[in-house]
Amino acid sequence: MDSMYNFSTLGWVAHVCFHPTEGFEDLRWKKKGSVKLSLFIVLLLFIAMVANNRMRGFQFNTYYVKVFNVVPVIVQSVVYFAAWVIGNWCVCTLLDGEGTLKRICIFSAYALVPYILCTYAAVFLSNFLILDEAIWPDFFMYLGLGWSVVLMISAMKAAHQYSMAKTIGSILLTLVAMLLILFLAILLLSLFQQVYVFVYTLYTEIMYRVRG
Amino acid sequence: MKNSVRKLVSLSLAACTALTMSVTAFADEPYESYNYDNWDEAIPSQSGYTVQKTVNGTDMGLDRLSDPADELYFSENASVSLNEAKDVFVYNDSEIWVADTGNNRILRLDTDYNITGRYYYVTGESESGAAKSPDGTGTAFNSPQGLYVTKSPSTGLETIYIADYENSRVVRASVSGPTELTLEKEFLRPEESLYNSTTYNPTKVIADGAENVYVIVKSVNTGSVQFSPDGEFMGYYGANRVEVTAKVIAQRFWRKIASNEQIRGMQRNVPIEYVNFDIDNEGFIYTVTEAPVNTDAVKKINAAGYNIWNNALGDDYVFGDHTEAVWDMATNKTYATRLTDIAVNEQGIINVLDFETGRVFQYDKLCNLICIFGTKTSNADQKGAFTSPNAVETIGDTVIVLEGSKSRNDLTVFERTVFGEDLHKAFSYFDEGLYVEAVPYWNEVIKRDGGYTYAHVGLGKADLKNHEYKSAMKRFKIANDKKDYDKAFEYYREEWLQSHFTGIAVVIVILFLLWIVKSVMRRRGRRFRDLFGGNRKNKREEGSDGLNV
Repeated sequence: MDSMYNFSTLGWVAHVCFHPTEGFEDLRWKKKGSVKLSLFIVLLLFIAMVANNRMRGFQFNTYYVKVFNVVPVIVQSVVYFAAWVIGNWCVCTLLDGEGTLKRICIFSAYALVPYILCTYAAVFLSNFLILDEAIWPDFFMYLGLGWSVVLMISAMKAAHQYSMAKTIGSILLTLVAMLLILFLAILLLSLFQQVYVFVYTLYTEIMYRVRG
Repeated sequence: MKNSVRKLVSLSLAACTALTMSVTAFADEPYESYNYDNWDEAIPSQSGYTVQKTVNGTDMGLDRLSDPADELYFSENASVSLNEAKDVFVYNDSEIWVADTGNNRILRLDTDYNITGRYYYVTGESESGAAKSPDGTGTAFNSPQGLYVTKSPSTGLETIYIADYENSRVVRASVSGPTELTLEKEFLRPEESLYNSTTYNPTKVIADGAENVYVIVKSVNTGSVQFSPDGEFMGYYGANRVEVTAKVIAQRFWRKIASNEQIRGMQRNVPIEYVNFDIDNEGFIYTVTEAPVNTDAVKKINAAGYNIWNNALGDDYVFGDHTEAVWDMATNKTYATRLTDIAVNEQGIINVLDFETGRVFQYDKLCNLICIFGTKTSNADQKGAFTSPNAVETIGDTVIVLEGSKSRNDLTVFERTVFGEDLHKAFSYFDEGLYVEAVPYWNEVIKRDGGYTYAHVGLGKADLKNHEYKSAMKRFKIANDKKDYDKAFEYYREEWLQSHFTGIAVVIVILFLLWIVKSVMRRRGRRFRDLFGGNRKNKREEGSDGLNV
């Protein structure tokens, strides 16, 4: 085997980020990638989103600052990521994809790294820049987003060994699957809430009777 | 003995409580004062205005009209109260004119709200077909809805313009005495084909410095009808535009593909006419539209009919409540802003009256919201509450609201509180750009209302002028004023860079030197770390880390 491709765990992340077309193929071929690290990346994504909300320079911060609710941020980072991974796995299992759940999780997380880093960079910069120079944080945000989208397509292509067209198709289907999963999750939550209310009412009723 | 002492104590305590309670109830307005912050949210504030008194017909001395011995005597059964009065106008801060619409008369009051004149007729030959006066020398008013009084630049006389609604005429007359108006000119329905409305019912009237007359006519939505001083129809002035809503866009699309018959059946998209206007001493005309629209709700029009407060040009003027239509559960009604009158005073302070909520919104000349006062109740049995507030006017800093419903007709006089005085002083400096001079007044404002947005903006701008960028940034942050914060931050950053220039330069030079050293070392085939005695293995020689089989 070529000794060129012996990287540390973080080295692999750098390798896939800077080799958008081949990086993930190498990662797959070498069977590298750490689930732990990918979960850590998702945590970093969550922190990046909180930082983007709370730590942007005041003149750049268009968020409503009177109330900060962390739940939507958790949903937008962790829950969306989980839905993406599960949705993608569901769709691609049906479409002859080779990816396992673990591999999809690792590849997707690695693909998010540029977006996360660029968000941090933009948040950092926004504390030193004025609105006239808004192009710099904007540039970093768009750079990170674009880069991650390219990496994500490449990652899915490598993970499932698809052609480009099939990759795009599967990604679109995954988005639909995510919607379905989230819809079902909300439905389930509200149903469980009703069950809880029902049980609680029963409990109160019984307690009233017991006490006389 | 002990028992009676206890009784006495408890009684006096109860009395004290009752007294303090009644005092509180007396001082309060029948509404909660509020203002808007920079997030467009209503927040509690202090009252800038408070009700001084209400003046009804009896207080004005309208019983003099039925007293035969009085010079203002009209008839035995002259009404002592106003009846659905529609308009009030203050002339020269010394005379208050009321259009007592339901009683078909015009009243003149002095600044103590005592009657000094009553006008049922205008003397002179009329072509309008209005009813003759008993002595045959003049004609009666029929439901006069609007009036405007000014000192005529051509004759030098005090001249009154009256929108005589039912008689389909606008009267220009000079004020000849406490009971007599002399007709100068009548502005009748224009004969020109450009005027294509079948009716001509003037509701409001104003005149500009060149004595051109502007008349708002009911159900004419192409602007106010403009007459030259000698009565010639000059066209329309300052029409509103159609608000572009999704519905309007959709209809535009359907009109493209519909047949002529279908188009005829469709609703037409016409602008909503403005219902009232005022003119300031510079000749700008201010209009209000009595409908919940965002386009042209309040306009400031110049002589060419061009709107200066045009949100389409990137400004963001909001008048009235910032909320969309609100459905009230208690009354099962939808409330939407209906601005019914506007009054601009000498200092350029703008008062806008919302018919729907009975609130007066006061703005400075740059349209910054100063304060909000007044309210609406179902029976208007409290001072400061209205059922149909018809007009707003100012005498100096005092604001008068005319309540003209079937059940209650009076003038409510709002006077400034100490808070309101501070606000006016602060805003007058603020608008001139004299931010530092405004500081003491803003500080007074903040003492009474710490959440008053413009106070923080004003203090921040003063700090900016005094080169105290750090505290300016803090102020702008409180006010959520990003634009000004950005400016303060720019100066702060510049100042910081200048004062720390040496340190920054040293760091840059050191980094540059390190980089040079590093590149020299690399050229010699040695690693930078070797300099410090480290001899970690090259990563490439590390070999496999587990799975490299």
